[in-house]
Amino acid sequence: MFPRAIKQSGRLMPAVALCLLALTPMAWSHAVVTESSLTSEPVKPNHATKVVLFFNSGVELALSRVFLVSKGDVFHPVHIAKGKKAGEMLVDIPPLEPGDYALKYKVFAADGHFTENVIRFRVDNP
Amino acid sequence: MFIQGLANFIDDFLGGLMLISYALIVGSLIWAAWILRVWDRSATGTGAGEPVVTVCVRLLKGGAMTLAAMQGTKLLIKGVLLAATLGDFPLEAYFGTVQFIAGLLRFFLSCGFIYLAGRLSVSPDDRSAWNTAAILTVPLVISGAWLVHGVGRFEHREQLMVMTVIHQLAAAVWVGGVAQLLFLWHSRRTEQAAHQFWPIAITRFGRLGATSVLLLVSTGLPLAVEYIGSLDGLFGTGYGSLVATKAALMAGALYFAYRNHKAGKEWKERGASADLTGKVPYFIEAETFVLVAVLFVAATLSSQPPSVDIKDTTATVSEVAYMFSPRLPKISSPTHEQLLAGEPGRVAVVDKVPSVAATEWSDYNHNISGMFLTGMCLVAMLSYTGRFRWTRYWPVGFIGLSIFLFFRSDAETWPLGPIGFWESTFGNGEVFQHRIATLLAFMLGVLELRARTRPDAHRLRYMFPVLSAFGGILLLTHSHAEFELKSEYLIQSTHTAMGLLAVVVASGRWLELRLAAAPVSLQSASSRFDTGQVAGFLSILAMFVIGNFLMFYREPLY
Repeated sequence: MFPRAIKQSGRLMPAVALCLLALTPMAWSHAVVTESSLTSEPVKPNHATKVVLFFNSGVELALSRVFLVSKGDVFHPVHIAKGKKAGEMLVDIPPLEPGDYALKYKVFAADGHFTENVIRFRVDNP
Repeated sequence: MFIQGLANFIDDFLGGLMLISYALIVGSLIWAAWILRVWDRSATGTGAGEPVVTVCVRLLKGGAMTLAAMQGTKLLIKGVLLAATLGDFPLEAYFGTVQFIAGLLRFFLSCGFIYLAGRLSVSPDDRSAWNTAAILTVPLVISGAWLVHGVGRFEHREQLMVMTVIHQLAAAVWVGGVAQLLFLWHSRRTEQAAHQFWPIAITRFGRLGATSVLLLVSTGLPLAVEYIGSLDGLFGTGYGSLVATKAALMAGALYFAYRNHKAGKEWKERGASADLTGKVPYFIEAETFVLVAVLFVAATLSSQPPSVDIKDTTATVSEVAYMFSPRLPKISSPTHEQLLAGEPGRVAVVDKVPSVAATEWSDYNHNISGMFLTGMCLVAMLSYTGRFRWTRYWPVGFIGLSIFLFFRSDAETWPLGPIGFWESTFGNGEVFQHRIATLLAFMLGVLELRARTRPDAHRLRYMFPVLSAFGGILLLTHSHAEFELKSEYLIQSTHTAMGLLAVVVASGRWLELRLAAAPVSLQSASSRFDTGQVAGFLSILAMFVIGNFLMFYREPLY
């Protein structure tokens, strides 16, 4: 009975496999930002800023990207560098006009998982 | 985005398969040592006969081949994922990662096991091959330390890595042993030796299983405390809720293990036990469903941020409880125009505006789906009275549900929206998921209806538990954690609970079918139908609770 049932089930396995492939998670999180300098030192208008992000996990810098997102969801790649401590990342933000922005990061954690996330911030008038 | 999502999914799905194949290798070797006693060559040895050892080697080889294939594919998929996510492929940087090096080592080690299993297939008494396999197991187990959460941590890194490796080892002993039992049982038709060895295997595995459970708990608890840290962390994050789900599934598996152990003990004391051949093999099959789900949950855990790292976005226990609290189902929906008007703001990165219409649209879809499922389950429960023949048509509800989903799942696509059917199906990952879920509901309806109404199609009945188990595993491994961790988690909490219940649906129905189909001579006649029917009714009850969750579902505004 058992092998026959399996054989019968096997005919439908391609459909099942398709179902498996279909249910695709859009993002898997592991390396998350636990702290950022954006909260303690807001970005000043029209000044280049170095933002510090603290991750909960080791990050492979060469396999990670950070984008500055401006109004209308326009993406600009920004330069990133390793900080002094483990899990610390330095992000170079160009001079910005007052308004709403976001940093979108895609990082490859030391445990092999990709994380995509967004940190929103505002640049206020002086 | 679609390729990236697909690659991400395959990557994590492979993680579950890799844990299973790892368990098959390590568990088979422990099985060979402890249960089969292949190293015991004394004249009065208690080792198993050659045909039984051959059965073990076949599973060892299968595990090694699967691990090699999965590990190799995972390395490739990870590369595809990198290229799709970053827009280029920094080959050198990828080759330099700990993940790539540890993964490649595991690939070569599994190739070594394939070779050794090949030698053992020809000569099961080859002591040198067994010894080499035992030696190879050490680096295989240790290499796992560089593929777990702990490797990325800054505090207690080494302790966490060691603890996880022991935890994985204990799980492998249990899962691998259960797989060996299953394989041994199904080999008894062709191997008389397997039939004779069956009670010995059950009784010997009792102590080994208990030891592995003890190790699992003693290493799992400190890991949970370190990564979760609080009650809100346990119930208010994806990581915590998956740990809770894993514990619940383990409790279910332990129940089956207890029943098997009890039957083995009875056989040892009295020299016979009706349950040992009448029920135990089917309990082991049901236990396998649960343990496979546990391993997929474990693989998903490795891709979730630990609860202690996301304290700011952790939901409270009361917020989670609110998601499950009953309310009147939403039976009116916003118009299509209202929904589309809020979409650009909802998906924006900057200037994000939550959409009330999208939330209400989703509530309506879930609540009506819940009403379909609840209604079907009530009819299915009625069918257990045996008085109303028409109640066996309850799976028709799945067909109705699939038609509803087809029209409601994706408002922006055909037939309601402007985007064409094929363009939307293959151009958007989320739409693709919904189309397949719709097809799955339709298939479940057609197959189960045919199985319950056509006596000649009884083999099709096994498709229902198989598909339910897959559905449950998908719900358990399908993370929603993206940008809004808390609101996404609140949605995920309901889906995780439904995934857990889907595994109950699958194992209960499987047990019902298997016990009903077992030869009468192998059953303890007095309770033959009771156990199967109770399991079947529990299966429907679990589906009923899923229906209720859906009926009361409310999506957080985000």
